[in-house]
Amino acid sequence: MKSNRFTISFAVCSVLVLMSFYMGTQNYKSTRAQYEAAITENLNQLSANTDWLGIQHTIIMPPNPLMALVTGVSNDIGRTIDMRTRGELVAENSRYNDEPLFAIFSFMDLEFIFGVLLSLFAILLAFDAINGEKQNGTLKLCFSNPVPRSTYILAKFTGIYTGILLALMIPLLIGSLLFPLMGIQLTADDWLKLGLIIVSGLLYLGLFLGIAITVSAFTKNPSSSFLAGLIIWILVVLILPKSSVLMAGRLVDVQNIDEINAQKSRFRAQLFLEDRAKMSNFRTDSQDPQEFLKDFNAFMGELSDVRQQKIDAFEERLNEEFNNRVDYRKSVALRIARLSPYAVFSLIATNLSGTSLELKSGFLNQAETYQNTYSDFIQSKTGSSGGGFRIVLSNRSDQSEQKEEPIDPGELPVFEMHQNTAIETIKSSIPDLLLLIIINLLVFGTGFMRFRSYDLR
Amino acid sequence: MTQQIDNDHIWENPLIQAIDLTKKYEDGLLALNSLNLSVQAGQIYGMLGGNGAGKTTTINIFMDFIQPTSGKALISGIDANRNPLEAKKHLSFVSENVQLYPNFTALQNVDFFVRLSGRTDYIKNDYEEVLSRVGLQSDAFHKRLKDFSKGMRQKTGIAIAILKNAPVIFLDEPTSGLDPKAGKEFIKLIVELRDEGKAILMSTHDIFRAREVADQIGILNNGSLVRHLTQGELQGVNLEQIYVDHMVGYMDKTNSNDSLTNHLRHV
Repeated sequence: MKSNRFTISFAVCSVLVLMSFYMGTQNYKSTRAQYEAAITENLNQLSANTDWLGIQHTIIMPPNPLMALVTGVSNDIGRTIDMRTRGELVAENSRYNDEPLFAIFSFMDLEFIFGVLLSLFAILLAFDAINGEKQNGTLKLCFSNPVPRSTYILAKFTGIYTGILLALMIPLLIGSLLFPLMGIQLTADDWLKLGLIIVSGLLYLGLFLGIAITVSAFTKNPSSSFLAGLIIWILVVLILPKSSVLMAGRLVDVQNIDEINAQKSRFRAQLFLEDRAKMSNFRTDSQDPQEFLKDFNAFMGELSDVRQQKIDAFEERLNEEFNNRVDYRKSVALRIARLSPYAVFSLIATNLSGTSLELKSGFLNQAETYQNTYSDFIQSKTGSSGGGFRIVLSNRSDQSEQKEEPIDPGELPVFEMHQNTAIETIKSSIPDLLLLIIINLLVFGTGFMRFRSYDLR
Repeated sequence: MTQQIDNDHIWENPLIQAIDLTKKYEDGLLALNSLNLSVQAGQIYGMLGGNGAGKTTTINIFMDFIQPTSGKALISGIDANRNPLEAKKHLSFVSENVQLYPNFTALQNVDFFVRLSGRTDYIKNDYEEVLSRVGLQSDAFHKRLKDFSKGMRQKTGIAIAILKNAPVIFLDEPTSGLDPKAGKEFIKLIVELRDEGKAILMSTHDIFRAREVADQIGILNNGSLVRHLTQGELQGVNLEQIYVDHMVGYMDKTNSNDSLTNHLRHV
């Protein structure tokens, strides 16, 4: 039966891992194609403009090859930002927003395969490691020989673990080799990160193996250990990570984002009304229409700048309060979630692949940095910061004779998303990797100590 | 009824020796009460007794599966509970129902357990030779154990014990459940091993087999050795009657005639 179990596991592992590489590659290529099409479309739209002040510039989050294997939050967060010279930036058009079907039937990536499926396999392979041998009678025969108990339990662990490694490493190696052949080029940093994702996955599987062996040393018969192993798996993989968010929500109160947005809108509307009242105070001695407009635009620009400063200050305060609470709730949720090794593995894998919870804030932060460059560029091109109301005069009668030249979108500064280097990413993953190792040692140590006094009869 | 074992029955330089071996469980059950026995090289000790008499407890202590409350279990002079790894180099074990790995073939099982015993100097031919010696057909060598009958599994078990080539062999009800032919073949092998100089401690319900092969017989009841007979003392005595007499003593305590009837039927 055990031999069949191994054969089935090997076959299923191979199919799943190769399928995840294939599907990940196809998914990445499709995302890459969408990204490139969106960039081209944006440039085409921009080149139809004749005035830099009127442009609708969109920046797009570039896909990262490791997203193909560990999707993390990459499909949940907005991939595009309508760039403005000032004000708050909002990421929109998430993959799941565009294609809700994927939200229900999400991608079967490496994180899912290791985290959910293979951890269950580890339980299935080792749930009767000790009590099954006792029930079969082979345990007594083994220990009629000069075999130390410590050697036996270590051999049991390494034997099953080697089986899992063999079953996994072959499809993982084939998948990794197929990656460049299927048109995805990974940098040395990406390979290093991928290697660490696999190492953390193997550590995680070792943990479930340890859990299964330990449980089989604590229970009398295989059916009990299978049930206990399954309950632990459900708790660790399905319940604890999800309930951590609920528990954190109960523990840390955060104001509703809609209320915050409503406050922002009310404040903006109030300032706008105040400024409209101030518009009646506009005075100029200029009789020439061009001069009049220049003075009016300067007046409106000043009003707009002051208003925006007030809005920025108000929104910054609200955002800071909101973000502080959200960050606190997030840290509480993560602390609770880290009680689950699945959550720990998931955090390591998504962090290494660049698809962690930080992806959204990273994208927005880099977009905000780009916003300054963009604003300076627009200022240099138009002499205006680009916000507020303006009046532009055009003489429609001689439009055909004085047709304005279209802008050259190639002049725009290019948005590039900086990826953390392997060293930076590994550094930030070390605490979770250590945590996974510690949990491994604790679980295996418990099984080891239990087996030292195990009744072999 | 308990007979004190006199010093004449403690052999010099025994390979198996129990000295005042006692096992009392935490719940107060006295599983073994000051057992003394010794078995020399080239001897078979038949340990007779009903269920719960203490036979398996004795073997479990020698195998270091449980610790004695007091007394000593020595194998080749080595304390089996203080230095179990060393003691186990000197013993082989065949259980009532030899269970090997069902998905391994006979040869794979033999190879695994012989290597586990520390013997790595054998080649495949050696395994096949011993498997043939214990009466296994050559076409069964490559069959998986899950397709083996109990008799075939017992033969594979004794082949492993032979290949380990330890001076001491413990047999826990080795012929229980075997058909008469298989039982006879098994006993023949045990006698051969005895003749090769092994010291064998065999627990059994089977008075007739014990009488046939044992050099010493000990009858255990409620954890105590109630009667000990050497080969010489066995001549001309009615072992069955002695055994039943002791079981009557046992029945007096349990006060159940049905149990006695069942036990004799089982014997």
